[in-house]
Amino acid sequence: MAWSRKSAMFASLATALYLLGLVLRNQQLVTVAVVLLSFLTYAAFRTSHADVSSTGRRLEDEDFDEGAAFGTLNAMRQLSQPRVFEDHEIDVTLRIQNLSPLSKILEVRDSVPEVMRVKKGANYALMELGGRRETELKYTLECPLRGFYSIGPVAVRVQDTFGLFHREKEIHLYDDFLVFPKMEDIKDAFVKSKVPKIFTGAVNIRNPGEGSNFYNLREYVPGDPMRKVNWKAMARSGKVMVNEFERDAVSDIILIVDSRAMSETGPVSRNSLVYSTRAAASLAQYFLSRRDSVGLVIYGDEIMSVDRDSGKKQLYMLLTKLAGASARGNTPLRVVTNRILPHINKGSPIIIMSPLEDDKTVVDAVRDLRARNFDTTVLSPSSLEFEFDARRLDRTGYEVLKTERDILISELRGLGAHVMDWEPDMLLSTALAGARGF
Amino acid sequence: MSTSQIETTGASDTSHLYDGKVVRSSAPSRKKAAGKMTQGTELPKDAIPEVHIPTFIESLFGGPLVTKMKFLPASRSVQNLQIASAAVMVLLAVLTYVVTPVSGTPWYWISSAIGAAWLGLIIHMLVILIGIGAGFWGLFQRDQRFLLISYVFFILVSLRFAASKVSFEVDLLPEGDLAQKVLLILYAICLVMYMELSNGVIRFSMLDTSIRTQEVYVMNEKKILSRYHASLLITPIVAGVVALITLLVNLIVPAIVAIFDPIAAVRMGESVELTSVYGVALGTMIVFLVVAGMFGINLPLRIQQFRERTD
Repeated sequence: MAWSRKSAMFASLATALYLLGLVLRNQQLVTVAVVLLSFLTYAAFRTSHADVSSTGRRLEDEDFDEGAAFGTLNAMRQLSQPRVFEDHEIDVTLRIQNLSPLSKILEVRDSVPEVMRVKKGANYALMELGGRRETELKYTLECPLRGFYSIGPVAVRVQDTFGLFHREKEIHLYDDFLVFPKMEDIKDAFVKSKVPKIFTGAVNIRNPGEGSNFYNLREYVPGDPMRKVNWKAMARSGKVMVNEFERDAVSDIILIVDSRAMSETGPVSRNSLVYSTRAAASLAQYFLSRRDSVGLVIYGDEIMSVDRDSGKKQLYMLLTKLAGASARGNTPLRVVTNRILPHINKGSPIIIMSPLEDDKTVVDAVRDLRARNFDTTVLSPSSLEFEFDARRLDRTGYEVLKTERDILISELRGLGAHVMDWEPDMLLSTALAGARGF
Repeated sequence: MSTSQIETTGASDTSHLYDGKVVRSSAPSRKKAAGKMTQGTELPKDAIPEVHIPTFIESLFGGPLVTKMKFLPASRSVQNLQIASAAVMVLLAVLTYVVTPVSGTPWYWISSAIGAAWLGLIIHMLVILIGIGAGFWGLFQRDQRFLLISYVFFILVSLRFAASKVSFEVDLLPEGDLAQKVLLILYAICLVMYMELSNGVIRFSMLDTSIRTQEVYVMNEKKILSRYHASLLITPIVAGVVALITLLVNLIVPAIVAIFDPIAAVRMGESVELTSVYGVALGTMIVFLVVAGMFGINLPLRIQQFRERTD
């Protein structure tokens, strides 16, 4: 049984008055002290004992029907879905059962992750729960940020009506769920590989071949089928011209996400890592929907990678990895490229999402990629913009750092990489279009 | 840079996450000082998170729900509590005046010493009036600081050197020992109930505001309130009975002794010590030894277990 400050104040006052009463021989003070002590003692008697206890058992998601019994209180929780996208909602139902025949006044708080906002209902309830009765607490959580989250434990407090004493226990009931980064719809295929793979796919690579999209006009050579002759071009030029088409083929797309500690600089919900993960999720969805093969590398304190594959299962794997990306460490980009380059096909498009800060190896890494003929795109959400927008950076500092950044970007562009200085309010598709020069 | 300067709105607003403040996830690092960094550059103030630690007074009144908030206009239940508190406070003020004579108070000594005894009575009345005034302000403005001042003045007025025998300011009051003690207990109960009720005003204002701002959901609010009201009736009665037993130890102990030795019981009943404040101390010791014994054998738990089994 825990004392509140109020009860401690009452007890101290009673003791002080009692002693003063004896010293001053003042029966009035002693009487007040005795009444105060009696008041406290009776409240302590009335405070329920041993209502809840804890076993520390962790429940699995599916155990809704079983719940965990603690003393005379039972708690069970159900989530509307175990996986949601950012800015989506999740409905939580917490059922509290009183197995005792006596009614209780309970304070129940279901612990929710601090980045979540309770949008509807309440996760905190004060209730009078009758004997052998149960009640449901329903609330809706808004999930603004990607990540792995856990709801629980359930804190239960039983206290006397005056708030003098209370007993408090945690029911270790947890439910885990996953928030995927939200995805933007990308309409155009602006990344095209020059190296075909064996399988025919939907994304065109930029080499002539037997495909469906127009690539070029050339003069007729013996052996060309007559259906390829472009009669209008022949009429214009006076030569027999034939259409060439792009070869349809699947390309490997490699997404590299920078999750170093500094990538989280900026507001919680608006920083480079948040933007990078959203971009990676959107790109992954886009390319996988085109039956491309997409691989993912996330680097921070270590290098995590998901091998190239295609299909919905791959999308789920990529989203899960992106949801769990946390800002830690300071692994240089060159270490990453050195490690992955031997394992990817030459000419595969590589998209790097990084703020490009505090990493002196960026230029060397991009030079290596370009030297090996990888089609390199850099999407760079600038943490300068985030901090300047949030007024954490004054004009002078911003200008100095912006100049440094512009020089770096120019240097990368000089190496043949497509680089986009991604401003916070710019849509991903716009940023990509800018990067590719479309 | 002031806090208001760093607040943003719209999509970047993270204020709901961090108690009204937009919070950055990492320290400003080199950016903050870029272009103007010197050897003596200090850590930017907005890099240090602000944490509200409840003041002592807030934590005394703050229930478990919310430690600091602006109250919404009082609901019906809070208004009822305010009126009840005010009524008890007025009764307390009257009883304080009745049971607390000016003689023995420090201001009486000082005013007597300077030859102006009337001044002592005025100060005495003034102390009670300040207690009432602060109490009214604290209750209806729901300001904890004024309530504390009120408590202090109501206790201050009874701090007086006194003879062990009870003496009253008003002569018309009963002379009987039992009646006097009942009056004294009534005064003490009024003081404790005033403290509890005024505290209840703050607690229920917090709760009501939390409900209306949807921070907390309350099920069966009427039942919770009715339990509180029932406790407000039962607890002072129980406390009064326990206090009466304690104060009447000069009658109870001789009555018990009389079973074995009537003469010793008579002598005991006439004992000055037993009828004085030390008798009350003895009574307190006896009563609370019994109470401690009850807690020692974990009686509350056993009573509850028994109730659960029988129900």
